[in-house]
Amino acid sequence: WFSEMVPGTPSPPASPLYPPVVASITAKSKAAKSRRLQRFNQRVHAAATVEEKLRLYGKLQRPKYMVYPQTFALNADRWYRSFTKTVLVPGMPPRAAPAKPPAAAGATPEIGRAPEPGAEAPGAAEAPGAADSPGAAKNPEPAAGAAPYLDVGELRSLACDALLQESFYQNKKRPFLYRDQDHTPGPFLTQLVSTLAASLSGRNPLLAASCLDLNPQVNYYWRHGTEVVVHGHRKGRVDPVRFQIDDNPHLQIRVPKQLPEVVPLESDLGDVPVIDHKPSKLPLFKKQYENKVFIGSKVADPCCYGHTQFHLLPDRLKRERFIRERLEDQIEVVYRSNGIASLFAWTAAQAMYQGFWSEADVTRPFVSQAVVTDGKYFAFFCYQLNTLALTEETIKNSPRKNICWGTDSKPLYDVVEDGNVKGFNDEVLLQLVRFLLNRPKEL
Amino acid sequence: YPLFQRGGPQLRIFRPNFFMLAVRPGVPQPEDTVQFRVSMEMTKLDIRNYLERIYNVPVAAVRTRIQYGANNKRNHRNQRVKKPDYKVAYVQLGQGQTFQFPNLFPEKEQDAETRSFDDFKDKFMEKEKQKQEGDPRRGGVPDWFGL
Repeated sequence: WFSEMVPGTPSPPASPLYPPVVASITAKSKAAKSRRLQRFNQRVHAAATVEEKLRLYGKLQRPKYMVYPQTFALNADRWYRSFTKTVLVPGMPPRAAPAKPPAAAGATPEIGRAPEPGAEAPGAAEAPGAADSPGAAKNPEPAAGAAPYLDVGELRSLACDALLQESFYQNKKRPFLYRDQDHTPGPFLTQLVSTLAASLSGRNPLLAASCLDLNPQVNYYWRHGTEVVVHGHRKGRVDPVRFQIDDNPHLQIRVPKQLPEVVPLESDLGDVPVIDHKPSKLPLFKKQYENKVFIGSKVADPCCYGHTQFHLLPDRLKRERFIRERLEDQIEVVYRSNGIASLFAWTAAQAMYQGFWSEADVTRPFVSQAVVTDGKYFAFFCYQLNTLALTEETIKNSPRKNICWGTDSKPLYDVVEDGNVKGFNDEVLLQLVRFLLNRPKEL
Repeated sequence: YPLFQRGGPQLRIFRPNFFMLAVRPGVPQPEDTVQFRVSMEMTKLDIRNYLERIYNVPVAAVRTRIQYGANNKRNHRNQRVKKPDYKVAYVQLGQGQTFQFPNLFPEKEQDAETRSFDDFKDKFMEKEKQKQEGDPRRGGVPDWFGL
């Protein structure tokens, strides 16, 4: 009887007889550690709300490097690019604008947007297409005769008014020591941005629905790479390197809809610098405090995507100081490091607000813009976040890189004398206007 | 010497009594960073001026720290022996210059004569050692007993 098989019985039972053989959870072994990490990752994946995810993500506090976007460290932008896996592309992202004939006035009702292949407004005074140098002050193109969609003269007068009011008409006392930037360029920037945004909100409905923050906070916490703990009771263990950015941009515009992507998600536009040394050689210092992820408003706010940030450089990073110490090449480094670090923190925090994190990488790119200025010189940056996976395990599987487009700093004006602004540079103003008019295709 | 006031002629010359010692960094430093041991009384400004004026080295940034010398060792009288404190300066060079601490004791290339002499010496020492040891068949057991 033991040699005959009962026909018809299903040989493997529906559920296995024994539980699966997996590593222990509490043992002091690498397999147990990886099992604990996986359980933690599953906990974060299974979190119901974004707030819960953020709380679990930043629950464990350990000493981390504080990354300051506005830093005097030499060659900081190279180090910041290696921490955030960013490729720096000089110049602005290419706007594939077709050479739009000015005569086709009513043909295309779309209004121009900065990095998008949108056609400029028909008969716009603004030069359509990046090929034309917008140095020509007012292009005599409103051949259509329709109300020029973009009156550069009006915008220029707005900018000059703000500048003169702050620096010439208003009677201010001498600024306190090292408070020059809060005295004149700060209020000028606020006034300029708010008036330009208000006047351009008529043709950019996204601006009409946007939120302008004054001196907001932007924080982001992430892990990248590993190091061996050198000193202390945890000596010899391999630890991830943790970073935290705590940034206070001067102004920030948040919008309810996301800006469109500039290049596809998987594009490769350059190389990320690889630095073998520890981040403390930059110099960068460690501290242990709250792991905060914040874009400027809490998660429930409808304006949860970023549009533009405006940064004001402090007094200790003035141009004159660098020239006096014969460090002229570091001037641009300051602008670039500020742009890269602040925009990375903002876009990554926006992505975390949508539920993505290093184990759940972003499925669509997050785009934001920034303007870094010291009152006179303006530098423009556009950042596309393609990947959040920067930890040791996830960085191996993800070939994507974040991309940052940036310009050099150009002066907006030469000098302000006697109620006149001498040498006003229209290019800078037009680039600013293009930034503000940037909007997704559907609108 | 007449009393010096600002704007007046400089009649006295002060030569610094400092010296700076370039050392090999214990942990790897970035290419543009040079590590020095300097006198405890030197400041960052002093270090910068010293290098720029005397040696014409463009200095971009200087960071200093004081290394405490330990006081744990004891001498034959059980008194604590202090290792001296010293200040370490990390100098970042300007104008894109780099510095790599040189290897002060490179392996000297031996010519044929030295090499053959070394081989001869090694073989001689080996033969001497074999004469000292006893019979290998005894497995290291001394031979002052037995047959």
